[in-house]
Amino acid sequence: MQKVIERILNLLAFLLTAQRPVTADEIRMTVAGYDQASDEAWRRMFERDKDLLRRLGIPLELRPTDAWEVEHGYVVEQQDYALPDPGLSDEERAALWLAAQVVRIGGRASGPDALFKLGGALVTASGEPLAADLGADGEALGVAFGAVADRRYLEFRYRDRPRVVAPYGLVHRRGHWYVVGPEVRPESDIKVFRLDRAVGVTAGEHPGVFERPAGFRASDTIPEAPWQAGGEDLEARVVFDPEIAWWARRQLGAGSVITDRPDGGIEVVTPVASPETFIGWVLGFDDAAEIVGPPELRRRLLALLGEAT
Amino acid sequence: MTSPKTAHRLTRILSMLPWVIANPGATVHEVCDRFGYSPRELAADLDLVFVCGLPGYGPGDLMVAYIDEDEVVVEMADYFSAPLRLSPPEALSLLASGMALLSSGQAPEALQRAVDKLQAVLLPDARDALVVDLSEPELVAELRRAAAEGQVMHISHMAMASGAVTERDIEPWSVFSTMGNWYVTAFCRSAQGERVFRVDRIRAAAPTGETFPAAEQAPPPVVHYSPSEDDVRAVIRLEGPARWVADYYPVEVLEDAGDSLTVRFSAADPAVAARLLLRLGTAAQLLEGEEVATAHRRLRDRILARYRSSQAPAAQGD
Repeated sequence: MQKVIERILNLLAFLLTAQRPVTADEIRMTVAGYDQASDEAWRRMFERDKDLLRRLGIPLELRPTDAWEVEHGYVVEQQDYALPDPGLSDEERAALWLAAQVVRIGGRASGPDALFKLGGALVTASGEPLAADLGADGEALGVAFGAVADRRYLEFRYRDRPRVVAPYGLVHRRGHWYVVGPEVRPESDIKVFRLDRAVGVTAGEHPGVFERPAGFRASDTIPEAPWQAGGEDLEARVVFDPEIAWWARRQLGAGSVITDRPDGGIEVVTPVASPETFIGWVLGFDDAAEIVGPPELRRRLLALLGEAT
Repeated sequence: MTSPKTAHRLTRILSMLPWVIANPGATVHEVCDRFGYSPRELAADLDLVFVCGLPGYGPGDLMVAYIDEDEVVVEMADYFSAPLRLSPPEALSLLASGMALLSSGQAPEALQRAVDKLQAVLLPDARDALVVDLSEPELVAELRRAAAEGQVMHISHMAMASGAVTERDIEPWSVFSTMGNWYVTAFCRSAQGERVFRVDRIRAAAPTGETFPAAEQAPPPVVHYSPSEDDVRAVIRLEGPARWVADYYPVEVLEDAGDSLTVRFSAADPAVAARLLLRLGTAAQLLEGEEVATAHRRLRDRILARYRSSQAPAAQGD
């Protein structure tokens, strides 16, 4: 391990100070650590080192060495290498560290490396017992986030169709991660894709390929209650019996008007954009809930139960 | 493939160097605390840095790094004076963790400032592009405190499958969130065993006044449903619009005929399958499963009875 680290430090020092593309041959002849290797060993060693640099998040680019573009060389731009300084105080770093300890993504807490990069953390307290897991495959999530940040297209398969999406935003709500944005080919309105159903998520090569519309807010695209996402515009009135009124109340999103009934139950008026989803939810209350209006919604529930009206 | 250990060690070196350069006079103790080093590890990394540098690799080309008395000294390493940028997974992970804690409403003020600053550099032109919503149901804070203080709690809890409400005394161990729901793991005195309860299904919780000794090591929470021997099983054919069921429930696919999917569905209670069948209507067909068929028919009859009895909707009195 020691040898690898020395070699990488030498390689990085060389690339960061070279200020020009340096060819693989030049690296091999100049940088300490590569000199002894046979052709084959050198090739493998260099491939592995490039891979390690990428894993550390170091942007290694291949560019022509001169205007004739006969030869290509490697460049690490100082400005791409360096972290733009967020200017965190020690207290703020410690707060982030604690957050990273108690929140897991895909079952894993983030390691200390990210905090080291930000200048380390002086941690005196132990993590608060929040213990939340944000689910999802950490790798796809990292790719999606990178694409959102750099404004790159995101490509993946979704419902058996390949998609190219301009990822305006990334949202975690109700236990799932969603990529939000329009499809590019063919163009579409803003859509919502559940990340765990997207297969083979990769980011496009070029950054800055789309603009977000002014005033875009990712949080507006995913409603609080699942039946608020859809193409219809109804206002449902539902009665919930006393014994389950508390349970219904907890699941209703903002925008619902709840009236207490004398028997201890509640009557709710709530916007519904997806009647199927809403009816499915109401049926989950067994016979302790009843859609009382509008008649159309009531009819649809009865039709689902096989009752002609 | 290089080992993760190597990547980790390199990251720490490339993070420690800029900090020491920016903070001349830093002590061994300070650097160790900040970057999680033991003094020996720090000395080893400084020794390693000392033999690296620029081509030529003579005294004027190598970096200078050593411990003088108690002071960490790094010189001739200006090219490493800026910390490494965060990789996208690291950036997401930090930001999302911070935002999750904030949305749960129990974060220190410093975290809000930290998240704001990170957003400003990581998502400079789209601060609203990342949203993490982890709102807590009522009682989460209460149960968390009870777990921390070892208070026995009396709860009324509604079972997921049957909808039955039970009263129990529990010794809460830990409160956590996964897949969008909050859970409490506890020793249930009433059931004399370990149980996991979904917090939003707990209607009320109050301390009984008793305490229990804190569990040495709370067992790792498991909330994923795994089929067991006693489960009710059913074979269901899902037509096109109902295929989503296979994504949501732990079903076993028996046959995929393209436009329809035949699955084996298992659940601890037939009511779960019955409710599902009901909401799918004609898009699902029960092929096998007596118990589920009965539960389905009864559920349907109960609901229809209610709707029939209010046929001239009385609730339209506004």
